[in-house]
Amino acid sequence: MTDTLEELMLNPVIRALFWGLVMVTAVMTVTAWTTWFERKFAGRMQSRMGPTLVGPAGLLQPLADAAKLLQKEDLIPDSADRFLFNLAPILTVGFALGVAAVVPFTPDILAADLDVGVLWLLALSGLMVFPTWLGSWASNNKYSLISAMRAVAQGISYEVPMVLAIMVPVIMTGTLSLSDIVADQVKNGWLIYRMPFTGFFAFLVFFLAGLAEANRIPFDIPEAESELVAGPTTEYTGMKFGLFYMAEYIHTLLSSAICAAVFFGGWDGPFAPGLHWMLAKSVLLFVFLTWVRWSFLRFRSDQLMDICWKYAVPATLALIPITALYTVWHGGAR
Amino acid sequence: MIERLLFGAVSTVLVFTALMAVTTRNLVHAVLWLGMTLATTAMLYILLQAPFLATLQLILYTGGVLSLMLFGVMLTRRSSEQDGVMVGNESNGRRRALPIVAIMLGLLVTAVGRTPLANAPVSPSPTTAEIGKRILSTHLLAFELLSVLLLAAMVGAIVLARRKDASLEGTNDPRERAAALPGSRPAGAPKEV
Repeated sequence: MTDTLEELMLNPVIRALFWGLVMVTAVMTVTAWTTWFERKFAGRMQSRMGPTLVGPAGLLQPLADAAKLLQKEDLIPDSADRFLFNLAPILTVGFALGVAAVVPFTPDILAADLDVGVLWLLALSGLMVFPTWLGSWASNNKYSLISAMRAVAQGISYEVPMVLAIMVPVIMTGTLSLSDIVADQVKNGWLIYRMPFTGFFAFLVFFLAGLAEANRIPFDIPEAESELVAGPTTEYTGMKFGLFYMAEYIHTLLSSAICAAVFFGGWDGPFAPGLHWMLAKSVLLFVFLTWVRWSFLRFRSDQLMDICWKYAVPATLALIPITALYTVWHGGAR
Repeated sequence: MIERLLFGAVSTVLVFTALMAVTTRNLVHAVLWLGMTLATTAMLYILLQAPFLATLQLILYTGGVLSLMLFGVMLTRRSSEQDGVMVGNESNGRRRALPIVAIMLGLLVTAVGRTPLANAPVSPSPTTAEIGKRILSTHLLAFELLSVLLLAAMVGAIVLARRKDASLEGTNDPRERAAALPGSRPAGAPKEV
């Protein structure tokens, strides 16, 4: 039995399907409980309890939320573009989950070991603005449309420092494949502290851009509930709204996993199996993200653009030549 | 066999989405159909075992060009209109388009027919590193010229988009800012500031 199973797994199509299924299930399940974690965390930061009623310590709250969302009436505005309105939530989760395909958890747990994994990542994060835009435009709601313009502007702007920042690890390791980047770090040390120390600053910029791409506080200008009702999701009800919400969490979770893989050595670590290290690093980064989210206030639009174009872009533009010169000086990428 | 079937499916979708992009009357839908066309082209590259080209197609065209187009549509269209901007005068457009299409088709068919196609098998090795090396050795001059061209275009865009009135540079009053934007005053109204 095991022989045939192993033979089956050698078939690339079966293997891809299997890991795709595993990844989607795992990510969706974890996502549900990150909402619990975030609410608990936010509660404690604000001297509240967070969810306590459903299950022990409110642990069953995500299930209750899902049941509530499924029961809600599915409203579609009369003047909405029905097809695009329904398409947008599906696409937003689809694009967010697509990132999971290239996240290297361990050398074996990896859905698709793409030769161009880094580019795939950038392509998907570039596409992320479309579902937001689609949903907002199709709702035919003026608040949604304003938020769509903000979302597209923010998405395009932060794409630039993101691309430039991730070029630093690419130059240092000499590969575009995410699993090779991690393998290189296992051999030569994590990029976050490796000489010429540009990895650390690249990480900061990449992290910032990831926050902005996920529209998380302090970059939630497109959502801005105090000005725009709820931004793109104003007209959405029930599970369609839930999907937008889910996509935001998936995006955040996966970007912390990617930061852990690209800058913190992924599965590298003593004593414990690689998967444990990778997950621990990702979770720590996610906690850090949540901490940032509940500590800061929303930026103004002009501050947002200032941070991107006056600080992040010039900083990464300086980092790239430094890294390249250092790498060439020391005989190319190892 | 499977490759041929896949190619057939992908190219059918490609032609269909391209046709939809030019025939649909709703400008936003047209842009989105175009997006589908560009994404399907990326699939074609994947079938041709060129993953680098495919992801670049997704980043540059589907991610970059399309969001710029959406920007253009959003900034030029009045959002209160129910079903989008109607494009073109149909009968007039068709009369003009037909000869152009005929000429283009003729050129393409002759070009494809006269090009000797290489029958060499596709190299299965990863091509990304090879492309990088070629760009920075064999095609260095073209690469550098293109970057200069892009830089010039970027500087040009900034010059065009700069606010005309230098006295308003750096003001934070929203009313002054609004007044300084082109098109915010009714046509023919005297300039206030």
